[in-house]
Amino acid sequence: MREIDLFPLWLSLQVAAVSTLFVVLSGVALAWLLARKNFFGREALDALVTLPLVLPPTVLGYYLLVLLGRNGPAGRLFEALTGGQLVFTLRGAVIAASVGALPLMLKTARAAIASVDAQFEDAARTLGKSEWQIFRRVTLPLASRGVLAGAMLAFARSLGDFGATLMVAGNIPGRTQTASIAIYDAVQAGRDSQALALVALLSLVAFALLYATNRLVSASLK
Amino acid sequence: MLNARIRKAFAPTDEADSRPNEEVPSPVGDEASARGDHKVSARDDDRRPARKDGRASGRFVLDVDFNVPPGVTILFGASGAGKTQTLKAIAGLVRPDEGFIAVDGQALFDSSRGVNTPVNRRRVGYVFQNLALFPHMTALENVEFAVGNLPRRERRARARALLERFKVGHTARRRPRAVSGGEAQRVALARALAGEPRLLLLDEPLSALDEAIKLDIIADLKELNRRLRLPILYVTHSRDEALTLGERALVLERGRVVAEGEPHEVFGAPVKASVARLTGVENIFEGEVLSRSEDAGTMLVELHGGAEARGACRVEVPLGRAREGERVCVAVSSGDILLATEEPRGLSARNILAGRVARVEQRAEQTLIHVESGVTWAASVTRQSLREMKIETGKAVWLAFKTYSCRILDS
Repeated sequence: MREIDLFPLWLSLQVAAVSTLFVVLSGVALAWLLARKNFFGREALDALVTLPLVLPPTVLGYYLLVLLGRNGPAGRLFEALTGGQLVFTLRGAVIAASVGALPLMLKTARAAIASVDAQFEDAARTLGKSEWQIFRRVTLPLASRGVLAGAMLAFARSLGDFGATLMVAGNIPGRTQTASIAIYDAVQAGRDSQALALVALLSLVAFALLYATNRLVSASLK
Repeated sequence: MLNARIRKAFAPTDEADSRPNEEVPSPVGDEASARGDHKVSARDDDRRPARKDGRASGRFVLDVDFNVPPGVTILFGASGAGKTQTLKAIAGLVRPDEGFIAVDGQALFDSSRGVNTPVNRRRVGYVFQNLALFPHMTALENVEFAVGNLPRRERRARARALLERFKVGHTARRRPRAVSGGEAQRVALARALAGEPRLLLLDEPLSALDEAIKLDIIADLKELNRRLRLPILYVTHSRDEALTLGERALVLERGRVVAEGEPHEVFGAPVKASVARLTGVENIFEGEVLSRSEDAGTMLVELHGGAEARGACRVEVPLGRAREGERVCVAVSSGDILLATEEPRGLSARNILAGRVARVEQRAEQTLIHVESGVTWAASVTRQSLREMKIETGKAVWLAFKTYSCRILDS
């Protein structure tokens, strides 16, 4: 039996961790905006951010490739600033995973923030607190279970991204070959034990995360 | 001193709270309320074109102008009269269409000069009807959160001292869910005062509490008021709270101030049927003028007890503008009626009615005896009298009250 290579799983965990960090920061900010502020195009913005949830991964990957490629606007800007590239790097994998995971974070956090009674925020305002203080000390703690659940979903989603990551970051073993891509690769090459090990581990992590999320959400409903 | 002049029109779809709603049963009938509605919309109409679907009467316009000097001013009214919206406008949570709000001469809102101080810089203490204590913080943290910019140790000490002052030091480490209603109320008061406000707004702070705790907190509020002399605007629809706490009272009805003055004036001499109803004048009857005596300055009125009562009863009341055969509304406060178990003689009171006790109703600080005498009267007696006079249902009694205890209401 050949040796089982767990490096792709390690890579996936790294990508998922960084992507989750981005997604939590941007997702919570967006969720607060969508839940608490009334502005023109609010629902359009929500729909746009949610789109990756329903689009085929290849379509998402195509968009990202156009955007992030060496001739794309984001890719060119990044190259001008840092001299590096986005496509076919781990950075590209992080972006692809983030865009795919953001809707899960946004939906969960928006619902959680919307369910916080606005009267608590009004009370904090009469107590002389700034909007930032109110968000940090009142709104966010009261929505924390939902935000945490969203973060876990985002992590699980990032961990398993395949299509968009493959198109943007490619399949470079040891550099951009994440677990889901490595599984495809292993199956194609007939390395069954390698595929099975990654499948089992990935399933286990995903199940554990979903189970924990459900526990959190149902506890917050009580 | 608070000066407030607030005008704001609410769409019918705005908060339920802002909509006029008849919660208080109306013995005078719907005529008065229908007229009241019309008045509001009529005034609204001369500023805006009437809506084509004719639903203008569904709108609610808050239009008030009053001052609150240091001390407790009661804001009194039925639910839907606009009390909470008035508080919210003062706190800055609702923006008036036009008006002027100032505390100690400093404008918080002035539509003519475009002044609108944000809520968090108004320094207005506000205790919400449901308190809005932060559920994820302990009582101490709730108060500490409201203490201004101080080092953490001092903030904590200050918050602790406030809790102690309101006799809830023992709740410091508990979450709001784990403290009783009365304790939560005290924590909320402590929190509202933690930021050293220049004005205190209390929205029915005691409505959910039982009588003993209520009286206890009222005593503390009085003490607080003696020390701080802040302008305190206290919303309630309890006449007892208004009389025990208030130095001044404003009566709000359908978005307007319809009476103001000292509580005993406002509640003692109601001129409008709606005010009488709100302020707890228990005996309000419609009747017909039988005869007028210009010389004596009195008139004789036959009262009818409303739709379900068949009886009638004649009383002598002060001379009013109503002519013979016209309908009037007569109000007598339950405290102005004497109750006798034998037929009274040699009494100056001109109205002596024989009847039977229909029902004995225990209230917090008084007992109401309902007496059937053509119409059903309510007379208040102390518990002691109730015992000594052996009053019980079915007993024959006499009611006596002066002509001038009867008030003619313009409904």
